Amino acid sequence: MSLLIGALTLGLIFSLIALGVLISFRIFSFPDITADGSSTLGAAVAAILLVHQIHPVLATAAGFGGGFLAGALTGTLATKFRINGLLSGILVMTGLYSVNLRIMGRSNVSLLGASTLANSAERAGGRLMGSTVLNVMGWEVAPREASMLLASIVFILAAGCVIYVFFQTNLGTAMRATGDNAQMVRALGVDDDNMIILGLGVSNALVALGGALLAQYQGFADVQMGIGMVVWGLASVIIGEALVGTRSLGLSITGAVMGSVLFRLLVAIALRLGLNPNDLKLATAVFVFLALITPALLERMGTLRQKSSAETSHA
Amino acid sequence: MLEIARVSKTFNAGTPNEMRALRGVELKVQDGSFVIVIGTNGSGKSTLLNAVAGSFFVDSGKIKVDGSDITRWAECSRAKFIGRVFQNPFSGTAASMSIAENLALAAHRGRRRGLGWLLRGNLLREMREQVRELNMGLEDRMKNAIGSLSGGQRQALTLLMATWLRPQVLLLDEHTAALDPKSADQVIALTDKIVKRDKLTTLMVTHSMQQAASLGDRLVMMHGGQLIQDLQGAEKRRLRPDDLMARFEEVRRAELLDENAAAMLKRMYV
Repeated sequence: MSLLIGALTLGLIFSLIALGVLISFRIFSFPDITADGSSTLGAAVAAILLVHQIHPVLATAAGFGGGFLAGALTGTLATKFRINGLLSGILVMTGLYSVNLRIMGRSNVSLLGASTLANSAERAGGRLMGSTVLNVMGWEVAPREASMLLASIVFILAAGCVIYVFFQTNLGTAMRATGDNAQMVRALGVDDDNMIILGLGVSNALVALGGALLAQYQGFADVQMGIGMVVWGLASVIIGEALVGTRSLGLSITGAVMGSVLFRLLVAIALRLGLNPNDLKLATAVFVFLALITPALLERMGTLRQKSSAETSHA
Repeated sequence: MLEIARVSKTFNAGTPNEMRALRGVELKVQDGSFVIVIGTNGSGKSTLLNAVAGSFFVDSGKIKVDGSDITRWAECSRAKFIGRVFQNPFSGTAASMSIAENLALAAHRGRRRGLGWLLRGNLLREMREQVRELNMGLEDRMKNAIGSLSGGQRQALTLLMATWLRPQVLLLDEHTAALDPKSADQVIALTDKIVKRDKLTTLMVTHSMQQAASLGDRLVMMHGGQLIQDLQGAEKRRLRPDDLMARFEEVRRAELLDENAAAMLKRMYV
């Protein structure tokens, strides 16, 4: 049970990264891989501030802001300097590795003893539910885990609503339109370059927020923790699209969160069944690869079948 | 008023693909004048419209709208003066967004976009009214993605979008060329109605001699990056499609003559 709750909580925290990827890859059609660096940046900034006794809310917000700057930098390279989008992300991500090391001063910062949002969630949960072991449908649940899960649910619900509302505003719709048709957006008086810079900023701010929360949940920040975040986020987005489709933004946001949670559950089950954790990233990459090619493959098989059945009917 | 003064533009300068697309074009369009631009392929018609819209910066010359010199303005800054409809029905609308969202985006053309709600109630009502007037039955499909509509419907909506806030200059770049004849007629009728109703200063490029003869109060013909004909007033009103064909033929013959003359000179002197 503890495994299940842990996977759910992690899935919810990771859904912030999925939402960031949803914005860059789907809304802007921009293959932004800055996320591998900006997730660590968020964790590093938050962790080092927490170690220095800064209030957890402020520390987390600073991580969010750091991610925004990183994304905006990628956007600036891609638009103002006309560097290929993928390469812009690689440059910023590579540079961030050193920046993150500088910020943390070493490759790993422990949050043991620091006051974090995780502790706050635990305290709030303690007041709400008491400190006895809970009994949920016959399962024993530690109050610490239950409060973390509850806090994550509330946080992600709020974040999802804020993102949805933002993309219905004048600014947010102009950003969506930029991803759809930059020519039209310019003709309507919107500077599409600025929209991309701002959009990648928002995307990476969410990713960094995910990193900052992840660090507080697991109790440490590590300079390697961001590796594979883009692919994880993409996997979640793809699962979400398979679950709820892409008909509206609200569905896409819901799907990304559901996809992230489902993906974490699958990972937990796979690990339980004996998957070597070292193979996890390979498995994820293969999964995303299969998810990307399957629709086209199915279509081709469909037309082949139609063709062959047409031929037999002729004969 | 739109003033285009000695505007020149060369693409790929200094390469074998050098293309002198505009050569000292001079054109003053009075307020409320509806100017038809015709010309052969590669004559610079679309380039002229794109120069006004700011798709690129011109090499020399000036472009002014209502006295403001916009020659060095970015495309998105000029949008506050200029409404545009493109040849490709896909260019003017965001396919994944709804009819209402597209129109509402256009209702903010050239304005600051903040965190206010896009689809406000009174704007939605107004948009429904305007869309109903198109007689395309789209007023009940305002929430549908615009990508699900036909080319003609999308062009009609793009026209509505371009003119939602009265533009100082309306640019129509062969906006019916990609449509079937029936849709083209619908969009042309709508164009004529809106331009006349709002007295819009308009530049319209067309390949259709029929449209060139029947629409507008002035007609300019382009050839080789220059304006070679400028018909206004009574002369424009008398114009028939056949006259236009004859004038095109004239241009073509003059060109042939030029080539022959050049060849002759070459034989004699080289």
